[in-house]
Amino acid sequence: MNRIRLFLKRLAGRSIAVRLAVSAVFWSFAILLISGLILAALYRDNTERAFDQRLLVYANTLASNLVSPGDAERDLGPIGDPRFELPLSGWYWQVARPNAKPGEVRSSKSLFGGQLPSLAPDAEAARFGEIRRGYGKAPDERGLRLIERDIDLGQEGRFIIRVGGPADEIEDSARRFSFALFVTFSLLGLALGFTTLLQIRFGLQPLAQLRGALGAIRRGEAERIQGEYPRDIAPVASEINLLLETNREILERARTQVGNLAHALKTPLSIIVNEAEGAPNEVKVREQAVIMRDQVNYYLDRARAAAMAGTLGTLTEVEPVLRALARTFDKIYRDKNLQIEISTSPATRFRGERQDLEEMAGNLIDNAAKWAVGHVKITVEQQQQDERPWIHVVIDDDGPGLPEGAREEMIKRGRRLDETKPGSGLGLSIVSDLAALYRGRLKLEASPLGGLRAKLELPGDGG
Amino acid sequence: MRLLVVEDDQTLNHQIVTALEQAGYAVDKAYDGEEGQFLGETEPYDAIILDLGLPKVDGVSVLTSWRREGRKMPVIILTARDRWSDKVQGFDAGADDYVTKPFHMEELLARVRALLRRATGHASSEIVCGPVRLDTRSGRVMVDGNPVKLTSHEYRLLSYLMHHTGRIVSRAELTEHLYDQDFDRDSNTIEVFIGRLRKKLGVDIIQTMRGLGYLLDTDRTSA
Repeated sequence: MNRIRLFLKRLAGRSIAVRLAVSAVFWSFAILLISGLILAALYRDNTERAFDQRLLVYANTLASNLVSPGDAERDLGPIGDPRFELPLSGWYWQVARPNAKPGEVRSSKSLFGGQLPSLAPDAEAARFGEIRRGYGKAPDERGLRLIERDIDLGQEGRFIIRVGGPADEIEDSARRFSFALFVTFSLLGLALGFTTLLQIRFGLQPLAQLRGALGAIRRGEAERIQGEYPRDIAPVASEINLLLETNREILERARTQVGNLAHALKTPLSIIVNEAEGAPNEVKVREQAVIMRDQVNYYLDRARAAAMAGTLGTLTEVEPVLRALARTFDKIYRDKNLQIEISTSPATRFRGERQDLEEMAGNLIDNAAKWAVGHVKITVEQQQQDERPWIHVVIDDDGPGLPEGAREEMIKRGRRLDETKPGSGLGLSIVSDLAALYRGRLKLEASPLGGLRAKLELPGDGG
Repeated sequence: MRLLVVEDDQTLNHQIVTALEQAGYAVDKAYDGEEGQFLGETEPYDAIILDLGLPKVDGVSVLTSWRREGRKMPVIILTARDRWSDKVQGFDAGADDYVTKPFHMEELLARVRALLRRATGHASSEIVCGPVRLDTRSGRVMVDGNPVKLTSHEYRLLSYLMHHTGRIVSRAELTEHLYDQDFDRDSNTIEVFIGRLRKKLGVDIIQTMRGLGYLLDTDRTSA
C-alpha cells in the first residue's frame, strides 16, 4: 500500500498531465466498479424475483388444484409445464401435510420419489400463510430455487406446497448480464480514459503554450510572453513579463550607473592630467592617470559583464555589429588608407548581448587595425562543437604579428607588449575575460596575411 | 578658426577653452546640450568639441540633430564612455573623431588640427602658399624661410585664409570665424589686421576683391 502511494506520488509529482490522468483513471475505475457491482446485484435480484413469480404461479395452480372439490388426496399434476413430468429436469413440486411421512407426500414425476428440502426448519413454528423463498438442493445435488407456501383447506387440514426450479437459470442470467456489463463498462472506461486524455491535452494546452513562450525568451527569440492566456494562468504570464521587465530594468540601471561612474571618475581625472601639464611631475601624473583609467575600465567592464551573466539569453546578429564597427574604424583610421574586409553570412547570430560582442570584436579589430599595414580581414564561421552551435570570429591583419610565446602573454591581464602604439593594454585580456563569461575563448595565432590572427569562439544560435 | 566646446564640467571646459585659445583659435563655450545645440545650429563653427554626457540634451542627440539640419562642421566627441558600442553610436551619429577621458590636451589639440586640415582638404600640418609657410602644429609662420612674429589675431586671420586658399573669403565670414561670441565685432578691425598682416609678411599674397572680400591666390604668388 505504502509502495503504491509512493509510486502514485512520484507519478503525480512529475507532471500535471500525469496527475490529472492518474486521478481521472482512479476515480472512473472506482465509480465504474462500484456502479457495476450495484447494477449486477440489482439485476440478479430482479431475475430472482421474476423466477420466484413463475414458481409462485405454479404453487398457486397446485393450491387451486388442491382446493378443487373432490378427493384431497387425488393426483395433482400435471400443472401445465411438461418439465415437471421429466425425471430430474430441475423443475419440481411437492405437496405434503406438515410432518407427513414419506409415503404421504405427493410430488411431481420429475422428483422421482425424492424429497424437496424444507425452507422452514421448524414447520410448526412457521407463520401460517407465509411464502418462503430460498435455495436448496435437489436429490441430484443440483442447486434449486425454492418457494414454499402453507395453505389451510379448512376441514381437509393444512398443506405445505413447495415448488423448485433450477437455480442455474438465475445464475446463468446474472452471469451473462455481468459479462455484458463488464464489456460495456470496459468500453466506457476506455472511452472515458481517451476523452480524459483529450481534455488534459486541450485543458493544459495554454500551459504548453506558456512553456513554448518561455523557451523562446530563453533562446532570445522573444522579449516577453505574448498571446492570449486563459484567466487561470494569465496572471502567471503577466508576472513573468513583469519579472523579465524588472530584470531588464535592473540590468539597464546597472549599465547606466556603471557608465555614470566612468563619467564621474574620468572627468576629474582629465582635469588632474591637464592641471599637471608643465609641472615637474607631469610625466608621473600622466602615467598614473593612464593606469587609473585602465583599471577603471577593466573593473567596470567586469562589473557590467557580471551583471549580464545569468540574465535570459538574447541573440545578436553578427553582421550589423561588424559593419557598424568597420564604419567606425574607417573613420578612426581614415588617414591610414585601411581596407577592412568582412565575410559572413547574414544569418549568423551570437547568443549574447550586442554590447559585449561590440566590445570584444571592437577591441580585436582595433588591435588589428593599429598594427595592420593596410589590410584587415574579418571572417565569421559557424561551427558545430559538442553538438552545440558556435561562431568563430576570425580577425586577420597584415601587420608584423607576434612570436608564439608572446601571444600567450598578450592575453594575460594588464600586459602590454608594445608601448609605442596608443591604446589600452588591457584590451585583449578584457576580450578574453568577456569571452570566458560566455564560455567561449580567445586564441591568438599566426595569420596567413602575415600578421596576427585573433580567433574568437563564441556560442551561436541554436535555433 | 572658430571652435565650440560643449562640456558640462566647468573646470574641464575652462581648461580646454584656455588651451585652444592659446593655440590661436577663437573659442565659444556651452555647458549643456541645449545651449550647445543652439550655438552649433546658429554659428558657423570650424569644429566642435562635444561631450556626450550632457545635461538637458545628451551629446548624441545634439549631434544627430545638427547632422539632420545639414550642419557639416567636424565634430570631436569627448567622453568618459569608451566602450566600442558608445564609439560606434557616436560615429554613426556623425562624429568625425572620438577622444576618451582622461585625455592629454596635446592629443586633443592634434586631433583638432587634423580635423580642421582634413575639412579644408590639406594633407599635412604645414600649409604652404607661395613663399609663406604656416605650421599649424607649432603655430609658426615663415616667409622665404624666415620666421615672422604675429599676434594671435593676425595669426588667426592668416591661418583662416591659408586654410581656404583659392577661395574668396568675405569680410563677414572672417568676422564670424575669427572672433568668439563675446568679442565686440567691428568690421573695420578686419581691414586693420589685413593691413598689418600684409606689412609683416612683406609679400603681397592677399588680394582685396572689391565688394566681395579677400583672396589668397597661389597661382599669382607662385608665379
